Amino acid sequence: MNNTRNYLCLILIWSLAPIFWQAYTSFCTPEALIYPLKNISNRWTLENYTLLLSSNPSFLRYLLNSTIVGISTTFLTLLLAIPAAYSISKIKPIIAGWVRLFLLSAALFPYVLLFLSLLEIARALNIGNNLFALSIPYSALNMPLALLLLSSSFKDLPIDLEEAARLEGLNLWQRLRWILIPLIAPATASTSILIFIFSWNEYPIALTWISKTELLTLPVAISRIAGSSVYSVPYGAYAAATVLGSIPLLLIVIIFQKQIVSGLTKGAVKG
Amino acid sequence: MTLVLTKLGRYIGNSWIINDLSFEVKKGECLALLGPSGCGKSSTLRLIAGLDKPTKGSIFINKKNITDVSPVERRISMVFQSYALFPHLSVAGNLSIGLKIRGASDSEITRRVTSTLALMQIQDLAHRKPSELSGGQRQRVALARALLRDPLVYLLDEPMSNLDAQLREELRPELRRLIFHGEQPIVYVTHDQQEAMAMATKIAVLNNGKLEQIGTSKELYKTPNSLFVANFIGRPQINILSPRDGAYLGIRPEDIYFSETGISGKLIYTEWQGDKQLLIFDTARGKLRMLCNGDINVPDSCHLSWSKGKEHHFDKNTGCRINPQ
Repeated sequence: MNNTRNYLCLILIWSLAPIFWQAYTSFCTPEALIYPLKNISNRWTLENYTLLLSSNPSFLRYLLNSTIVGISTTFLTLLLAIPAAYSISKIKPIIAGWVRLFLLSAALFPYVLLFLSLLEIARALNIGNNLFALSIPYSALNMPLALLLLSSSFKDLPIDLEEAARLEGLNLWQRLRWILIPLIAPATASTSILIFIFSWNEYPIALTWISKTELLTLPVAISRIAGSSVYSVPYGAYAAATVLGSIPLLLIVIIFQKQIVSGLTKGAVKG
Repeated sequence: MTLVLTKLGRYIGNSWIINDLSFEVKKGECLALLGPSGCGKSSTLRLIAGLDKPTKGSIFINKKNITDVSPVERRISMVFQSYALFPHLSVAGNLSIGLKIRGASDSEITRRVTSTLALMQIQDLAHRKPSELSGGQRQRVALARALLRDPLVYLLDEPMSNLDAQLREELRPELRRLIFHGEQPIVYVTHDQQEAMAMATKIAVLNNGKLEQIGTSKELYKTPNSLFVANFIGRPQINILSPRDGAYLGIRPEDIYFSETGISGKLIYTEWQGDKQLLIFDTARGKLRMLCNGDINVPDSCHLSWSKGKEHHFDKNTGCRINPQ
């Protein structure tokens, strides 16, 4: 018992320490970072944050951009994935098995290899510098994962429920709307979070598709934070940006914690 | 109202899970489909409900062929073994969703849901979720939902198999009070012959997707048409003696009595059942089960006999009943 607790503490330190270090760094002056143990007068500062928020455009603008992309990606993916996942759960097991295999191989494909060709497509279609257009490749990249998660949760629903609904007179759309989609809500919640996190973190496509400063998403914007000269690295500003960038994700995870956990563990135990 | 099945068959994979099934359930009648697991009784119910399509044959409700009619338009109520209550909806929500979809007005929905809840005596549960109900309560909600449909036919798929024995006995009279007095034919699937006898006016015994025999419980017990029915109906199981003259001889444990002129047997097992006791004897014709009065002290070896009239004969090859000339 005691051993388990020690082990848990170790794991927690392992995963949380960098975050705390980042938070600590974000409130430090450059001098304090260089001399962590020295007794200096101006150790603590909010300058990193004020710098980010007062820049033009303000850092909040990038947070907003990323939020827009995240929400539209999640929405687009679910819109396409839920009906498709339902169909996968209904087709013959042998065909569904093949579909799953293809989805899995698509999910494992290193998408970085795609970004140059994607850029060509964006150019040809003239959809660069458009936040909503970004959610098209994002939702395509998330589709395999979303389909795998959602179709297995559709499959876990007792068949009796849908048949009872059929006998009650609900047509396919009504069954999805009133019975099936509400019942897979936990899986939908956890899938949404994963999609949102992906689009929040995504770098290569955002870098190549968006060139206008005011449309940059968070990861690209952070990479463009510059110091006072080419020779200085603005550690404090980076740290502050990271902290600001993780707050929305943390909030989402805290709010939807229950749904995420029940969604990820669903199907593990028959209830 | 009547329900008629003619030569119904369903072919899946490479076998007939239901084959040449024909029967008629008249108004107010309850037919129990009885058989071991996998005999096709639930599949039959699904065909009647319209959840599956038959490969051949037809289904008629009130003389109208509904074989190709959608489940909704068949106006059928089905109670599922798992109850199939919608877990995210309250009891009232479970009852009202069908009415809502079928376009009933709000006032009508409220009126009918309230009256059905009252009929089932579950008014207090209206706002609970299914997960907050006990097994018996869920069963009542499932029944309430079936009643609310105002169907032409009731289908019940092992409605009590998830309940404990005591609750089952309590609910039987109630189930009969609620749905067994109406115009509608009822098809009741069960694997429990006690329940079939208690609930049904007629029993159909199914085996491997085929109808073995249909009749009242008395008919099935007294004149089983085949070896299978004889074995399936009646507990303790009928004694089947090794074949002589091309026929198996069946004799029910309760028809055997002690007699000095009978065959001798050695008592090898006793099971006391309260008023009765089950005895198993080792005899020259194999093991014999016998049911006798619980108060008798049975000696270790005795002589057993039975009257000729109580014998059942079955063909050695086909298993069909041979009636005595």
